[in-house]
Amino acid sequence: MTTLPARPAAPTYDTPESDNYLTHDKGFLSWILTLDHKRIGVMYTASVLLSFLVGGIFALLVRTELLTPGRTFIDADTYNHFFTLHGAVMVFLVIIPSIPAALGNFVLPVMLGAKDVAFPRLNLFSYHLWIAGAVCTVVSLVMGSFDTGWTFYTPYSTTTTAGGVVPVIVGVFILGFSSIFTGMNFIVTIHKLRPPGMTWFRMPLFLWALYSTALIQVLATPVLAITLALVAVERIANIGIFNPAMGGDPVLYQHFFWFYSHPAVYIMIVPAMGIISEIIAVHSHRQIFGYRFIAFSSVAIAIFSFLVWGHHMFTSGQSSLMNTLFSAISFSVAIPSAVKVFNWICTLYKGSISLNTPMLYGLAFLILFTIGGLTGLHLATLNTDVHLHDTYFVVAHFHYVMMGSALIAMVGGLHHWWPKMTGRMYNEKLGMIACTLVFIGFNVTFFTQFMLGSHGMPRRYYDYQPEFQIYHVISTIGSYIMAGGFLLTAMYLVQSLVSGKRAPANPWGGATLEWECASPPPYYNFHEAPKVGDPYDFSNLHWDERGEGYVTVKPPAAKA
Amino acid sequence: MMSMLTMLTLAQAADGPTPPTFWMPTGASAHASNVDSMMWWINLIMWAFLVLNTVLTVYFVWKYRHKVGTKFRTDGPDHNGPLELAWTVGPLLICIVLFVFGFKGYLDVRTPPKESYDINVTAYKWGWQFKYPNGAQSDDLVIPAGKPVRLVMRASDVLHSCYIPAFRVKQDLVPGRYTYLWFQSDFPTGMDQPTDGHHLFCTEYCGTGHSNMNRRVYVLPQEQFDAWTTKQANWLEEIPEEELYWKAGPKLYARCVQCHSLDGTKGIGPSWKGIWARVTGGEGSNGAFADGSTYSGLIGAGKQYATAEDYIRASIYNPGEHLVQGFGNVMPTFKGQINDKGIDALIGMMKKLDEFDPKTGAWLKTPPAAAPTASAN
Repeated sequence: MTTLPARPAAPTYDTPESDNYLTHDKGFLSWILTLDHKRIGVMYTASVLLSFLVGGIFALLVRTELLTPGRTFIDADTYNHFFTLHGAVMVFLVIIPSIPAALGNFVLPVMLGAKDVAFPRLNLFSYHLWIAGAVCTVVSLVMGSFDTGWTFYTPYSTTTTAGGVVPVIVGVFILGFSSIFTGMNFIVTIHKLRPPGMTWFRMPLFLWALYSTALIQVLATPVLAITLALVAVERIANIGIFNPAMGGDPVLYQHFFWFYSHPAVYIMIVPAMGIISEIIAVHSHRQIFGYRFIAFSSVAIAIFSFLVWGHHMFTSGQSSLMNTLFSAISFSVAIPSAVKVFNWICTLYKGSISLNTPMLYGLAFLILFTIGGLTGLHLATLNTDVHLHDTYFVVAHFHYVMMGSALIAMVGGLHHWWPKMTGRMYNEKLGMIACTLVFIGFNVTFFTQFMLGSHGMPRRYYDYQPEFQIYHVISTIGSYIMAGGFLLTAMYLVQSLVSGKRAPANPWGGATLEWECASPPPYYNFHEAPKVGDPYDFSNLHWDERGEGYVTVKPPAAKA
Repeated sequence: MMSMLTMLTLAQAADGPTPPTFWMPTGASAHASNVDSMMWWINLIMWAFLVLNTVLTVYFVWKYRHKVGTKFRTDGPDHNGPLELAWTVGPLLICIVLFVFGFKGYLDVRTPPKESYDINVTAYKWGWQFKYPNGAQSDDLVIPAGKPVRLVMRASDVLHSCYIPAFRVKQDLVPGRYTYLWFQSDFPTGMDQPTDGHHLFCTEYCGTGHSNMNRRVYVLPQEQFDAWTTKQANWLEEIPEEELYWKAGPKLYARCVQCHSLDGTKGIGPSWKGIWARVTGGEGSNGAFADGSTYSGLIGAGKQYATAEDYIRASIYNPGEHLVQGFGNVMPTFKGQINDKGIDALIGMMKKLDEFDPKTGAWLKTPPAAAPTASAN
């Protein structure tokens, strides 16, 4: 490893970068019509965070209503609209695009040492489609919203009187294509734009994760698009596809839906795992443990993800034989997930660990994903799932994976690459406090829900038995703590934009290529094509007092 | 592990329902002890790995903390074949064991004994109807103790799901197909106090009243159960003739309401509004049928139906014979489900529709002084 060629030193960390991607062009149009992957990534990030705020407000409204059995402050129909909106916004507008489209767009080409993704115009089109999808959701709200649950189960979704079902279906259809185009773009970029010397096994693990994710996006999303189109056709033209009153089959809908939506879970979690691989390795400053196992497990998860959709349907009326097969295959997902967790923990062993905000999010992920993953065992096991299916146990399980893992990784990644994206540092102390608040609030909210569920509290309930109230109260208090943590995060990030310290090129001591270009990166990312080394070789990095960042030093100690 | 699992199961085959624990609610069926011991084992695995991972993580982060400005360690191993193989194969073995035991328990849940007692269940927005073999019906589920019970279930509108936490069973009800669920509870609960019995929940989201589809499950000793079903089956016979139309009418109409409105709204079937005028030669009696005939052409002395009552009864027992124009042949026959006294009650209700709430079908007048509680049925 020591014989690798040295890299050029990071350019001019101590003089403010005058021409970077943020200052290169000015004006609204220069952003909204940009072909620069970094600007598109930044716009995605802002849009996703705004949607996260909206989805989060719905979550708090739902939790507040659940403080007491019966009516607390809204009626049953309003509650049904709110939990549906919370789910739909969080899944389709936030988590699915959050890591690949927002952070991935910014980081992927820079990690590859490339100037941009393979198809910059398609990339911009994806973002415009995302906007169109979001607009459709808003139109749906104006037209009476929808109360179907984010799963759109038929025949409820084709018979409900809520007026916004068709617009939101159109929205999700469009968002699907946004996701497909991003996926295609990433696949081609990783195949074609890797620099000389970067073989598949010299790729940063985040790229392996984005690649696996892109495969799922391209292969699974069309199924969702077609399924929802069929729901719209049934609603508008009264053609019986899923509604038994017109000769359809509602269980068929569930098969179609979960054939996409289970892989979609991995569209959310696999890139999160990629971020965690980066965060843990970079902040431990140590060769990642078991690179190949982690890389292959991403691909394994992507493949298994297509074979387990039936575990959402153990009580749906699906045959017992199918349930048995799906249960068996579902367990197989546990193996690559466990492998990854053990590898990350071993990466800490004999590392040089800097405990800062991104790392704290990484560690939070390790614990929350452990809980989220292990409670998957309760649900993959057939007889316990029959008891737990469609209760709060399931709600808690998927929040541990979707939020405690995917979203926490997204926030961790945001902190990890924030100096690179904005050229500013944030308040480290506040960052750690906010992360701790989120971690505590999250566990108070959702661990309680495991107990609610195993005691028999069904999900999507407006009213409930008095014996469940104590759990609901604790859970709601947890959600307020979490909201406080995120509010604090928003405050210090805004403060960082306004008056944050200028960021050095390499504040954490990372060895992947994005830490070699300036913060924020120049318009074309690299002034000259970077030389590719081992993405996890930290031996040449040295702390530089003057710039308060890390610089690469050639082994014979001659500074370039 | 196997022997311990068996021990745990046997320990719970006691003489009463298992009390609630930290994780599980009270258990009152044969399935419950299976599920609970499975939960216990998986929880053990969960805690073991959670503690292991957390302790290692925290310890490593503390032990290998980095001081800014010092050199990075380079002595960490970058892989370890045997170790990685071990933590691939280890979890795999655990998963196989869990799958096998879960599968065995699941087979029991899905395989009702041959001699089970069948109850028909219909779920609708937003309630349940339980029908017993002798014709009895109820809104809450009542089952005999110590006997395998099979629910044969269907949904009349959207998806619903029948969940009884104390029995650890759940099954979706799907419109257009039958599904089933079976369980056996050996412990009578009584049905007199509000706290008696177990919860029954709907666990498939079905709209506004989803969370209010909760009902009770009562377990009665066999003799008590038999007495209850007999009484329940004969509820109609015990109502005096003069109270029939308002006591029994709305209750029977609850089975018609999904297709026939009272306020003139067009449903799957024609509204009852003005029906008595139509069939007795009044307003609307020239209304056409799909086969070209009219009310007044069909009903009357010397015609197919000598009296209006005749026509109503024929429409309930043999609905497809003359279809009102604009409606399909979709109504099932109620022969064997509604007897002559029930027909009398419905006809009585049709004659005095203005006494009933046009939306809910509830009787709007107060009962005569002789009957202080109108809801007794």
